[in-house]
Parts: sequence; structure tokens; C-alpha cells
Amino acid sequence: MDRTVLKIAGESGMGLLSVGKVVAKILKDMGFYVHTDREFPSLIKGGYSNMQIDFGLKPIRSLSLHANLVIALDREGLVQYVDTVAEGGVIVHGYERHEKIAGLQEKAKQRKVTLLYLPAHSIAHSLGGGDLMVNMVLLGLLWRVMGFPLKPLEDAVREQFAKKPALLEIDLKCVRAGNEAKGLGKIPEYKIQLPKSKPKEILIDGNMGIALGAIKAGVRAYYAYPMSPASSILTHLANFSHDTGMLIKQAEDEITAAQMALGSMFMGTRSFTATSGGGFDLMTETVSVAGIMENPLVIVLAQRPGPGTGLPTWTAQGDLKMAIHSSHGEFTKIVLAASDPLSAYELIQHAFNLAEQFQTPVILLTEKAVGEAQMMVDLDKAKKIPIERGLVTSKKELAALKSSDRFKITENGISKRWLPGSSATGYYGNGDEHREDGTLTEEGPEIAAIMAKRWRKLKTIQKALPDPVVYGPKKADISFVGWGSSKNAVLDAMEVLADRKVKVNYLHYEVLWPLRDEAFKKFAKENPNFHIIEGNLQGQLADILEGRTGLKFKGRLLKFDGRPFFRRDVTDYIGKILNF
Amino acid sequence: MGSLKSKNDIKLLADRKDEYLRFEGNERLTWCSGCGNFGIQKALERALVLEGFKTPDVLLCFDIGCNGNGSDKIAGTGGITFHGLHGRVISAAAGAALANPRIKVVASAGDGATFSEGPGHLLHAVRSNYPMLFILHNNENFALTTGQASATTRKGFPMNGSPDGVVLDPINACDFVLGLKPSFVARSFSGDVNHMTDILRSALRHNGFAFVEMLQLCPTYNRATSYEWLSQRVQYLKTTPKTIEAARKAAADMEEKINVGILYQNVESPNFLERLPNRKGVKTALVDEVKAYDIKKLTSQFE
Repeated sequence: MDRTVLKIAGESGMGLLSVGKVVAKILKDMGFYVHTDREFPSLIKGGYSNMQIDFGLKPIRSLSLHANLVIALDREGLVQYVDTVAEGGVIVHGYERHEKIAGLQEKAKQRKVTLLYLPAHSIAHSLGGGDLMVNMVLLGLLWRVMGFPLKPLEDAVREQFAKKPALLEIDLKCVRAGNEAKGLGKIPEYKIQLPKSKPKEILIDGNMGIALGAIKAGVRAYYAYPMSPASSILTHLANFSHDTGMLIKQAEDEITAAQMALGSMFMGTRSFTATSGGGFDLMTETVSVAGIMENPLVIVLAQRPGPGTGLPTWTAQGDLKMAIHSSHGEFTKIVLAASDPLSAYELIQHAFNLAEQFQTPVILLTEKAVGEAQMMVDLDKAKKIPIERGLVTSKKELAALKSSDRFKITENGISKRWLPGSSATGYYGNGDEHREDGTLTEEGPEIAAIMAKRWRKLKTIQKALPDPVVYGPKKADISFVGWGSSKNAVLDAMEVLADRKVKVNYLHYEVLWPLRDEAFKKFAKENPNFHIIEGNLQGQLADILEGRTGLKFKGRLLKFDGRPFFRRDVTDYIGKILNF
Repeated sequence: MGSLKSKNDIKLLADRKDEYLRFEGNERLTWCSGCGNFGIQKALERALVLEGFKTPDVLLCFDIGCNGNGSDKIAGTGGITFHGLHGRVISAAAGAALANPRIKVVASAGDGATFSEGPGHLLHAVRSNYPMLFILHNNENFALTTGQASATTRKGFPMNGSPDGVVLDPINACDFVLGLKPSFVARSFSGDVNHMTDILRSALRHNGFAFVEMLQLCPTYNRATSYEWLSQRVQYLKTTPKTIEAARKAAADMEEKINVGILYQNVESPNFLERLPNRKGVKTALVDEVKAYDIKKLTSQFE
């Protein structure tokens, strides 16, 4: 088996996150590759949720459907997740009345799942801990099941709870009690192959990738209104703010956040905001005004399922068409999509260069399954992206400027941009239609000329941006096209199927607008069995590519239930198409 | 009428007439005859020049409305203006002001923008004490869309879209702001350029969010408060009230004796940038700090 899947499940507020963090950290320190994500309801307390940790000896890009090991912190954890355990798996739990749960034992037996019960509540209470320490008792027990030495676990617990010394001792007692518990009958031994070396990668979530990339790119102001799954970008940047000196402002609403970012960029610093679909709806008027003013603007759109409030804490790729077509009026914008923390780190840096050089809004799409999932990345392997601002800065050139240079009608659509205070020559930054110097115009020919100039940027940008990348062999038995986190599941599936001599390849779009479809046409020609994989209901990229090229996808692998693509989704789909 | 114009100021304006002309711009003004915007624009140009600003030292930001239509008719030969969205100018201007406090940021918006489309921005700008000047052009109606009622239109007057007369009480702008623990609140009258100049000069010197309400004439759509009506009622405050309570009392009457002048000022209140613990002692502005930062120190915790 190439990986082990551990789920910690229970009601929100039962401390599953703190256990999850400890476990992920130790596994990483032991040398495993780790990938974590949370499934949870939009509640602070109550409702069942889980943290899943996939770990193994090779890089892990996407989560698995079935868990091998489960810590069920309460009745909910037991009932809701018994069906998600793979054959031969183990559930450790502390629910005293488990025998009263109808059908539980039968289900477990059928799937050859071992239910391992320990009276964790009474153990935790007898050691001076409360219900919130049940997790530590069960963690101790799980450690024994996995056959791991206790010391690294104790060290990690010490580190995690160092700031709460009074509770730390009880936590440690609980861990030991679980680990050394007697009278449990036969404890199944779950053999896990241990790593021989430690990978260089760090374990971060996609929102951390955004935060670090933004810092690297010279962002000096961040404005945001909290909205899942974008909120932790605010948390990360605020927690770093004493090291970075970055100005952090939690704005009163999304419109304000976008407007403040726009104003800061207009004045000449680097600034951005992040939100999810509903908040982005409120920002679209700002996107539009940035378009006509030719002002740089960067917005991270962290997708979750809509419409409406939808599913605040789940994942989706449902806002692609919305991002591309957002805002009134016709103007050029750029849409990028991150697939993991590394690409988030790179793309946020690109976003600023593109926004400033091409003087237009950039929307960076992420997903809950990117922003809040932790993956192992080596930032040293990231592309080196020097800061490019496209500003007029030389004294000589600043002195020679004319006001009409600012929105000069040019072949490539790009005009000179200079900052307030930098030159004795001014201009009107005008959200009303205007001439080359920004003065208002309602003259037909002048309007048509500047509209066309702004639209010409689209071709210029299209030429400047890279082609989508092909992963896997040049020619394959089945091929996929996708964007965002779809990549992760396809690449994981590709690896599994390569062992079974099934050739899979994948064309990944990072730049979604302006779209380069030549690469797609070439890919489709070489790989006639091409399918789309997207986390939305329509197949949004498929629609756009088909409309632009006249080519038809052979099939659409779509998922729109709030869950990310699991590796199994892809292998099952391929099995169905190729009949194996 | 307020009398200002000391001999010294007249001489200053004469000495700086080149800069004054640059602030005036070259474009033909498009406001109605008798519009209060002429006077407000004149007072702003004078105040900026008298306070020693040159066109590249300021960023003039405009909302949508009649005053915003002047956004490309001021300062443009040497200065930069920003004419954005309806109701949002305060936030865009605040973002600009935070990015570079060396540039004086002045935002202008009407009563429609400020009290209908985007009052949340005003509320939080006052609370955040952003380092900027905000001028409320209160002509008591939506003039550019041909005279609909705003939140400051007088009760009972028929307006476009309210033929039976407005049924709601108007908001008292200064009183509203005074309820938010502001650091600078003033009111002036568009019929008195000298008084407006005076008030704007004080507001430009204020460190923090300076709120200035201009009682603005709109001869085309606002028949309730004409030049005669207002000039008979305007009273010049001799001293600035010391407390917010006293200021609210002074601001309250909008019917009989309408006080103009500085209603309240707190010079002790730090502006937003000065409140940030992580920016203490930082001498540079955010616009100076755009460079590649090393993230090694930050990522060590994830190793």
C-alpha cells in the first residue's frame, strides 16, 4: 500500500483539529509525505466533521476516499464515518454505548473493520482532564495500533500545548494512559512502512502559499473582509505583520476591501484582497472600474459551492465563468487558477506583475481544497519571479511625460503608467470614459478608439502568458483537461494506473483568461480520447474550450457535491471508460 | 459673511499664482449657472495653494455626481485625480492615503453617495481616522440624475420620484458624524468662498480624518434651501465647541440658526497609521517598500 489514510472524526469543537495538527506534524517529522484537509460544517460547535491525513513514502497530491484508521471522538464520529473505512481498517473510539448503535457491529464485521473501544471519557476524567482530552487518550491508543514509538508523540504534544502548562501534564498522562491501556483484548497491528529519510518539503496550506507569495512579491497592504475559505489569508498575513511591517486592515465589507486595494495600487504600493463567491459579487463593480481606469487590481477568489451562501466550508470549482465574465462593460482581465500551495505561491507573484504591467484586474482562483488543505511543498523549487512593475521611473522619462501618455492609444494596448507624486505631469484617473489624458469624453470616435485600445491588451497578454502544461506521456489511452485542484487527483491516479500499464496524460490550465486554445487543439489532436475534469456542474472550462475550438470532449468527469476529487474518482472513471 | 483674506494671504496667492493656475486646470466647467460647486472648487484650489501644496503633492478623489463631473477640471496639468465609483470614494481615497501619506488625499462626494449608497464607508473612515480630508457636497438631492430625494432632502418637499413630497426626516450630516467620536468636523456654506477656504485650510492641516460638510446650493433642483434661505440662516461660530456634546448642540439646528465653522476637533487622536503597532517608528511609506522580501525566516516554523 502506497499510503495510509487517517481520519479524526467527531463533532466540531471536540478538539479534532488540535489532534490533527499534532499528528500531521509528527508524521512529517518522521519523514512521511503528508496531505491534510478538513471536512466540517459551518458551525463552531456541533455537527460532525473530520480532519483527514493521508501519509506515505511518496508525494501525495490528493486525498483518498476511504480511511484506514479512524479516531472517532464521539458517537457522531462513529456513526458517520464507519462506512468510510477501507476494508481491514481500524476505528478507535470511546463511546460507551456503542453496542446500542443499531447495525454498527454488523457493518464493521462486513467490512472487516476492527472497532477498538476504550473508556476514554472515564480515563480522561480520572486523570483530571475533561471531555476535550478524550482525543489525547484515543490518540495514545492509535499510536499503539500504528506501532509507532511514544516519545515523538509526547514531544509533539509538549510543543503544541507549551503555552498551557497546567493542561500539558494532564494531556501527557492521557496520551500515556491510552497508549498503555490494558484489557482491550487483541489489538490489531497495523503495519506501516517507516520512511528512511526526511523530505525537504514544508507542510503548508494554499492560503499560506498565497500569504508567502504576496510577501515575496512586495505586497505592503492587505485589506479583507472575512469569508470562508479565504479567511485564513488574513490570519496568516496578520500573524506575520510584525515581521513584515505589512499594513493589515479588516475592512467593513468586501466593497471597501476592494476599493482600498484599488486606491493603494493607484497610489503605487502593492496591495490586494481575497474573498469567496458572494464577496466577489460585491467587488465586481470595482473590477470594472479598475478596467476602465487601467488600474492594477489583484483579487483572490477562493471558491466554495454556491449559489447563495451555499456551502461555506466545502469546496468547488464553480466560479470560473463568473470570474471570466465578471463585471459590466467590455474590458480585458486576467484569470489565473492555483492547484496547490506551490502554485498559489507562484501565481500570486505573477498576478502582481501582470496587473501592474498590463494595468488591468487579475483574479486568482483558489478552492477550499487548495486554500485550506495542507500539502508538502518545496518553495526552493518554485519559479523565480522577479518583481516587474512596468512603471515609468527614470528621471529623464518622468520629466518628458505628457498627460496624454497615460492612456495613449497604442498598438499593443499598453500605455505608460506613473505614480502620483513622481512627475510634474499629471493625468485624470477617470472611471468615466475618457481621452488619452483622462479627460472625459462623449465623442463617438474617441470612445471607440479607447475601448478598442483596452481590448487590444487581451491579445498582448495572451501572447505573453505561458501555454498550459501537459503532464504524463505525450500520447495516452485516456487524456484529461482541467484546472485548479483537479490536477492533484489526476496526477495521483496517473501514478497508480502507470503501475497497471494504463497510460494517462493531463493538460493543465493555470491561465484561464485570456485562454490559449492552440495548446488544447494540439493536445486533442494527439490524444483523441480527451475528457474534461472539473469540480462544477456544467463543465465550465469544457463549454468555453468547445465554444472556441469546435472540438467536443469525449466525456465530462464532473463533481459538484462540495467534495474535492479523490484519486478514486479518477481511477473509477477511467475504469468505466476503458472497461477494466 | 466670514471675512478672511488677510493681506498676507492675498500676497501669498499672488506669489503662487502659477501654482494656482495649475490647480485651476484648462477644461471648461459644466455645472449649472449658480451651482455651489464653482465656489467649493475655488475654495479648495485656494486652500491648497495657501497651505503650500503643489499639484503633484495632492491626490484629489471624486465620487459620482455633479461634483465628480469636475474631476477632470482641476489640477490635471500637474496633478493626478481619481474619479471612481458611486458611493465608494472614501474607501478608495483611504487606500491611497495609507499607501503614501506624503501625498495629501482629498475626497469629495455628494449627499447621495455619502448617506444612501455608501454610509458604511463614512462610518468606518471616521472610526479609523484615516489621514485624509473628506468634503461632503450636501446639495440635499440627487442632482445629476435630475433631482430625486436624498437622505438630506427636507421633509415635505416634492422631488422627482416623490411627487407628494418627501415623507422622511432628513439626516443631519454633522450630527451623524459627531456621534462617531470623530477627530475633525466642520460645516461651511458654498455661498461663502472665503469661509470655505478658511475651513478647508484647517481641515488640510488636521492629522486624521477631517470631515467638512458644504451646504451646497443647487438652483436647479433644490428649491427648499436657496441662496437667500441659507444666507439668512447661516451663523458663524466664534469658537470651536470643546466637547462632542457641545458640538452636537451647535450642529443640531438646520432650520433657524445654522452654525457654520469648525464644530469639533481632537488633535490628540492618532491617525490610522499611527495606531498600528507593527508600523511604529517606520519612516518609509508603503509606496517606498515594494521590493522582494525574503520569506526564509517565516517558513522555518513549517520545516
